[in-house]
Amino acid sequence: MALDAGMLADQMLGAALPILKKHAQDAESFAKAEFTKIAQTIVSIGEQVAGGQINQQQAVLLLNMQTTASRNVLLCLKGLALLAAEEAINAALGVVKTAVNAALKFPLIA
Amino acid sequence: MDTSTKLRLHLRIRPSITAGVSAFVLVALLFAGCAVRFIGDYDDTIDKGVTDIQQKAEVYFSKLQSSPNTPYDQDFYDDMNARLAVLKSRAALLPKYPIILEQLSNLKSQFDTFQKLDKASPRPFPSVAVTDAESAIAVSVESILKLELALKDRGKAPPPSLTKGSK
Repeated sequence: MALDAGMLADQMLGAALPILKKHAQDAESFAKAEFTKIAQTIVSIGEQVAGGQINQQQAVLLLNMQTTASRNVLLCLKGLALLAAEEAINAALGVVKTAVNAALKFPLIA
Repeated sequence: MDTSTKLRLHLRIRPSITAGVSAFVLVALLFAGCAVRFIGDYDDTIDKGVTDIQQKAEVYFSKLQSSPNTPYDQDFYDDMNARLAVLKSRAALLPKYPIILEQLSNLKSQFDTFQKLDKASPRPFPSVAVTDAESAIAVSVESILKLELALKDRGKAPPPSLTKGSK
């Protein structure tokens, strides 16, 4: 049986898309929660400077800590994106495994 | 060559480059001989180590908040630095771990910044500043743990492995 690239692509996309969507939703809710905390803290720093509770030098150091926290959130999202891509590719290959192996008459995808 | 000629040439070449790269990726995947893996495995030592660091930091922050006259404590920072150095060394040795290594470096940088703030601030230490610093460190810790836990969950549905052509 000859392999149909279009049909294989459809099956692969069908397997990969739900995984990518699920990961995207998870990443979005995580990013939203974490960036909300960071935004609230930045507002708090501004209020503390205005209220004279901390000086400008202290505010700069506290803001620096928030910036670094943002970098860590973005790094986490990068890692989650890699995981999503990895799972999507593996699922896409998994869904066409039987058809590919049957057509080629050897277990290319084990 | 004028701009419109360059543009036409670019538009003609671009799809063929894209198709070539896609085909290469597909062939590479099919003949890789193993499941696709872009990021390292879950590491229990890093998971627990980061949790311990947060727990110890919380104790110090609570002390600063409940007793704002608590003096600067160099031992706390020495302990944090030692723990983070150990975790960073481990992350540097683990395969495909640059993201978590960078996250740990950022966490260390946050402790360094808070150390400067702590050292330079007269007592009583402003409790709101402690809350803000605590929040920044918590975000970093959660970012590391979120990724570690996602790596831990990865193994639940085993991906297919690919074999090279049979002989």
